[in-house]
Amino acid sequence: MSALIGTLVVLTLIKSTPIIYAALGGVVSERSGVINIGLEGMMAAGAFVAVVVSYATHSPFLGLLAGIGAGALAGFLLAFAATRLRADQIVAGTGINLICAGGAAYGLVLLFNQPGASVQVNSLGHGFWTLIVLAFALAALLHWVLYRTPWGLRVRACGENPSAVTSAGLDPLALRTYAVTISGALAGLGGAFLSIGELNLYSDGMTAGRGFIALAAVIFGRWHPLGATAACVVFGFFEALQFVLQGQIAWLPANAMQALPYIAALVALAGVTGRVRAPAADGVPY
Amino acid sequence: MNALRRGLIGPAGAVALLLVLMSLAMIVAGTSPIEGFSALILGALGGREQIGETLVSATALLFPALGICLAFRAGLFNIGAEGQLLVGALFAGALGAAITLPGPIGIVVLLCAGAVGGGAWGAIAGWMKARFGANEIIATLMLNFVAAAFALELVSGPLKGPLAAGAETAWLDPKYWLPQLLPDTRLSIALLLGIALAAGLQWVFARTVFGYDLRASGEAPEAARRSGIDIGRLTWLALMLSGAIAGLGGATLVTGELHRFNTQISPGYGFTAIAVALVGDLQPLWICLAAFGFGILESGGLAMQASAQVPKDAIHVIEGLIIFVLAARRFVATRVEGGSP
Repeated sequence: MSALIGTLVVLTLIKSTPIIYAALGGVVSERSGVINIGLEGMMAAGAFVAVVVSYATHSPFLGLLAGIGAGALAGFLLAFAATRLRADQIVAGTGINLICAGGAAYGLVLLFNQPGASVQVNSLGHGFWTLIVLAFALAALLHWVLYRTPWGLRVRACGENPSAVTSAGLDPLALRTYAVTISGALAGLGGAFLSIGELNLYSDGMTAGRGFIALAAVIFGRWHPLGATAACVVFGFFEALQFVLQGQIAWLPANAMQALPYIAALVALAGVTGRVRAPAADGVPY
Repeated sequence: MNALRRGLIGPAGAVALLLVLMSLAMIVAGTSPIEGFSALILGALGGREQIGETLVSATALLFPALGICLAFRAGLFNIGAEGQLLVGALFAGALGAAITLPGPIGIVVLLCAGAVGGGAWGAIAGWMKARFGANEIIATLMLNFVAAAFALELVSGPLKGPLAAGAETAWLDPKYWLPQLLPDTRLSIALLLGIALAAGLQWVFARTVFGYDLRASGEAPEAARRSGIDIGRLTWLALMLSGAIAGLGGATLVTGELHRFNTQISPGYGFTAIAVALVGDLQPLWICLAAFGFGILESGGLAMQASAQVPKDAIHVIEGLIIFVLAARRFVATRVEGGSP
């Protein structure tokens, strides 16, 4: 029994980590006033590029950096649309999701000459544990940055009242661009964790809605880095629980059990009514 | 003039962009655009069989696109059409394997079952939004995964056909198959049903109080609320109807094309349909045209992959880019012209 609980705890930490990175990205972005529906695609971009670079250079560390870079690039694309083009952020983010997932599928055929999944590449191995610790450390760091530094104050002001930021002589569009690019980098890191951390390959659909679960965690965690992280641990727990239960109890409906983390996110989403408030200018172009 | 410009430049611009991007994707894959495009066009329109397949894809995209369009009118972003379509198809497939009715009545019952299934799935998200203020984008997407997991569970076990090899329901009795539209192809009268539905929706949007309420609650929710529109009711109604239309599409896939349900019934129609709805400028009749265009891409894409070695997934990248670009266009248009999309 205690071994089982131990497995559950470790698996919860592992399953929470990629969602935490994406959710921290979601917090930064939404605090600056841009809803990042594209987190899912940015994770896929990070996951895929990390595998490609690890394959090409045999260095999973370079793969990780490239994954972060790919996510940042996708984030910058959304930032550009959201700020300079004043685009509908939801529609643009949906576009990013399709571009990244489709691009990875296209890349699989083009580079590995096989649809569905890449070949196996060098993974991060034990570096994977470092990334788990780093996720929680980054949550604390982001909390400090958002609430204790001038830059954090400015980003939060962008999300609440961008014209006040302009009045203070700063450029809210530039701040939003930084925030959304960082958001993409974090999502890319989460994606790279999935592909070369937990596993050693990329397969189509491997992000499996985690970008959206992260968005639910942002709301459930009240747009707060530590709150969102706690929410991610809850969702990670249900994902881990599903694995552990499947191994233990034969009569459980294995396929239906896969819905568990998504149902948890739905319940969380419905359960916070009226008690949370998004940043006032969240999703509103400036 | 403005209406004309909105109607033509949007889709025309999207098509021009599409051609440029497709050429790029072909060059990257090491094929000349001429060779790639001729493979695509021949594969999509090169003969009766090919045209039939293109229209089959167009029909499969048309229903979820119309559903997404309806929700969009109310300012709701439904990215769960994929799941709603799947549940509708599951309802039709499961019921179709069980009922004994005269053929035509059976067909109508199965189509209704699809609409009920998809509608129920959409209504869950609508209820969550209306009752709890849950974000409908995340809710509809989460429900896609829940639908896929439950559908797989059901057709691997209780609903699995007695002779089925994989996760599939039993074959429908041929009397429940939708009549063919084009002989020797898989094209059924579902296409006509979709076009009729589009015409009906166009009328609802333009001429009915419900259509007006949808638009009002989408574009100016506060004003709509003050004028006495029940926004909560409209929210779940819009998402339910949106899901019902996608679910009806799922039922036409079962009764018209596959003649049974399996979990691979939709290769992402519900997501491509977002691009279809946007390229169609959220106008049901333009959406029919957009669905035909994307049908060409979907069915020609396979041929392009086979004969010109351009991965079919390039098409999904391009769909994403089109959505991305339209996100900017739409907003600029609403700003310049005073808020009416």
